[in-house]
Amino acid sequence: MYKYDHIDQTLVDQRVAQFRDQVARRLDGSLAEEEFRPLRLQNGLYHQRHAYMLRVAIPYGLFNSKQLRTMALIAEKYDRGYGHFTTRQNIQFNWVTLEDTPDILAELAKVEMHAIQTSGNCIRNITSDAFAGVAGDEYVDPRPICELLRQWSTLHPEFAHLPRKFKFAINGAKEDRTILLCHDVGIELKKSPSINHGELTADIYAGGGMGRTPILGSLIKTDLPWQLLPSYLTALLRVYNRFGRRDNLYKARIKILVKALSPEEFARQVEGEWIHIKNGEDNFTKAEWDRVAKHFTKPAYKSLPKLSNEQVINTASETDRAAFARWLERNVKPHQIPGYASVVLSLKPHGSVAPGDATTAQMLAIADLSDQYSFGELRATHEQNLVLADVEQSKLYELWQEAKRQKVALPNIGLLTDIIACPGGDFCSLANAKSLPIAKAIQERFDDLDYLFDLGDISLNISGCINSCGHHHVGNIGVLGVDKDGEEWYQITLGGEQGNDAAIGKVIGPSFYADEIPDVITNVINTYVNNRSEDESFIDAFRRIGVTPFKEAAYKNKDESTKKKEKTQSAGATS
Amino acid sequence: MSANPQIIAAHDQILHFPKGSKPIIENNEWLIWSGKNSKNKDEGANSTLPDLEHSKKNVLVPFSWWIVHHNEANVLAKAKAGQIGVWFAADEDILKHADMIEQGKTLWPVVAAHFPIFRDGRSFSTAAILRNRFQWTGEIRAIGDVLIDQLLQGARVGFDSFALRPDQKTDIALKQFDLFTVTTQNSWRGKRSLLEA
Ligand code: HEM
Ligand code: SF4
Repeated sequence: MYKYDHIDQTLVDQRVAQFRDQVARRLDGSLAEEEFRPLRLQNGLYHQRHAYMLRVAIPYGLFNSKQLRTMALIAEKYDRGYGHFTTRQNIQFNWVTLEDTPDILAELAKVEMHAIQTSGNCIRNITSDAFAGVAGDEYVDPRPICELLRQWSTLHPEFAHLPRKFKFAINGAKEDRTILLCHDVGIELKKSPSINHGELTADIYAGGGMGRTPILGSLIKTDLPWQLLPSYLTALLRVYNRFGRRDNLYKARIKILVKALSPEEFARQVEGEWIHIKNGEDNFTKAEWDRVAKHFTKPAYKSLPKLSNEQVINTASETDRAAFARWLERNVKPHQIPGYASVVLSLKPHGSVAPGDATTAQMLAIADLSDQYSFGELRATHEQNLVLADVEQSKLYELWQEAKRQKVALPNIGLLTDIIACPGGDFCSLANAKSLPIAKAIQERFDDLDYLFDLGDISLNISGCINSCGHHHVGNIGVLGVDKDGEEWYQITLGGEQGNDAAIGKVIGPSFYADEIPDVITNVINTYVNNRSEDESFIDAFRRIGVTPFKEAAYKNKDESTKKKEKTQSAGATS
Repeated sequence: MSANPQIIAAHDQILHFPKGSKPIIENNEWLIWSGKNSKNKDEGANSTLPDLEHSKKNVLVPFSWWIVHHNEANVLAKAKAGQIGVWFAADEDILKHADMIEQGKTLWPVVAAHFPIFRDGRSFSTAAILRNRFQWTGEIRAIGDVLIDQLLQGARVGFDSFALRPDQKTDIALKQFDLFTVTTQNSWRGKRSLLEA
């Protein structure tokens, strides 16, 4: 894992000092709130419904036990005893004060962490594959490039006040686990003997994003040698900075510019700018690569025999075998190295407070688990779970037992209850509706693990408003909170998908009340069960039979329940 | 500073930070003319430069105004006397006027780029392009809604003078440039610290 050198450390320390001064000026009134706002946002500090919220970066999702312990202690000392892992590989603290924030940042700086550019209209925390460096299907380890670009983007002066936030994702595996095409810029890394002498190259996708106008990114550049990434991205961002729309917040993302110009014309303009700077000194050097890449060498793996699934199951006691096997199937992923596996710890226990939440006690325990079983390293996934990437197969059973004690061993990874949800109306001041109670109600309805297992891979994502923090557009089933006449309603989308066949879901029709949602989901699921052919996943069945049967099922009870609702409401009004 | 709607307000002093030297406070010798009419004057006033006899003797004119008026005798005379510089609006596509900017190199003692509101970063790119594409070596001034907390970024992209908004405290402003001793990307002022690591 990357280790700060004195330059990184100095920068982060000086950043804390800078922010401390800005907060002091805010508190003594010499800095107006309106002018302080972009400054605090660029340090991850939001002002939410109840309090300030601090968003801390976990660059490309990679962190260590020491850092997790610090997060646990921050949750304890400055918050209410928990932290929230987000869809963009950050962690959020919901209850901090402005006065404490500089101290929190100073604590973070001691363990090589920060909140720089986790918010605001600048280049945000760079996200990547949570299984980078270990995934069985990886052809390039993206982490050195992630780190080089993290450094390049940190406090970049020219792009500090872009028209809108700007998100990078970087992938180097066969299966895309980054939602590459839903990012402002997606960087697909490649290595092929026929291109650039087998050196690392990048394909660049631009103009993806969710939010109000969900669009998948377009390929605008192929085979870019890795060294040229900074100059190319400078050109790209320069075009966006100059011509992205600033007159309308909703049209300010790069996706609108790329769409308005067409991807071809956008690419041409970037090329026109790039030609002047592509040979300059912005580009990465071999020395920089070496300095960074040496931190991403393989840990001290033992040479171990590769165990079959059956052998691993047999390490468990007889009574545990069935449950353990389930966990192996859903939460344990193949590894590049024989004898090792990656483990996903579920932060989605059924009936949980919020998907992605971890308490101080859990964080401390998980830090211990990572020390004991995974070289002290961890990853945060965009599905809001945690990963221990390097676990010996022979120790999986032991780890499972420990994880069960911490309530992070539910074998629901990729299943219907592995819900992605934003904080919604319970915390977020932009929300149109609550997300967390919906997630909880669905988890309670689908509590039967056998049934969930039988259903197989289904993603269900919930956002409390069109900003799409909960990624509802790319959920096989998406739930979106909408406001109608001051009331909370929920709109359903179907057919969204992340990964290599990424797709944006379609709205199926008028929205529902909160208490209708578990039934609606049940009806949609039943439609799948009744129509699937053997081993066919939800999304494949959906693609085969189309939206109509799902839609009919979803609205089956609609008339009745709306009538019932109206009746109770008018009864309430007269009483 | 001025209630005159034709003048873009700025501190009486500018913060001057030439490349390779220390930042200092200097008197501001330049009026920043918006080029727009005050409401009660007719359109014709549009072409009239502000009075340079009784106020500051130099004026920054909008680049769009310069494009239209630069061949007029009195404008040319003042320009030759070094009294006229131009400022670029945030939405000015300077690349479309490369020739005129090329000519301007021999005429304008200073150019400026405007921040209509502090969180509009377009002028950062304007300055960067002026420095690394047009090889502009003269002064580039940040004008408009220029706040203390933008100075560092401005200084790095290519600005070397700052006409701060009148309410900004210059003593605090002066200290901004010392906040960071390291950088992780190249800028007009120097290469990233990482190259030496
Ligand atoms: C609680 C405070 C939060 C606020 C005020 C907030 C605000 C926003 C806003 C305004 C957008 C829309 C941007 C656009 O125009 O596309 C957005 C998008 C997004 N947010 Fe949040 N958010 C919050 C929490 C979260 C959390 C907890 C997560 C992760 C669980 C998250 C992850 C995202 C993601 C992934 C997007 C994606 C949009 C895209 O890619 O286009 N945010 N957020
Ligand atoms: S989707 Fe909306 S409600 Fe949910 S966190 Fe984002 S901004 Fe808030």
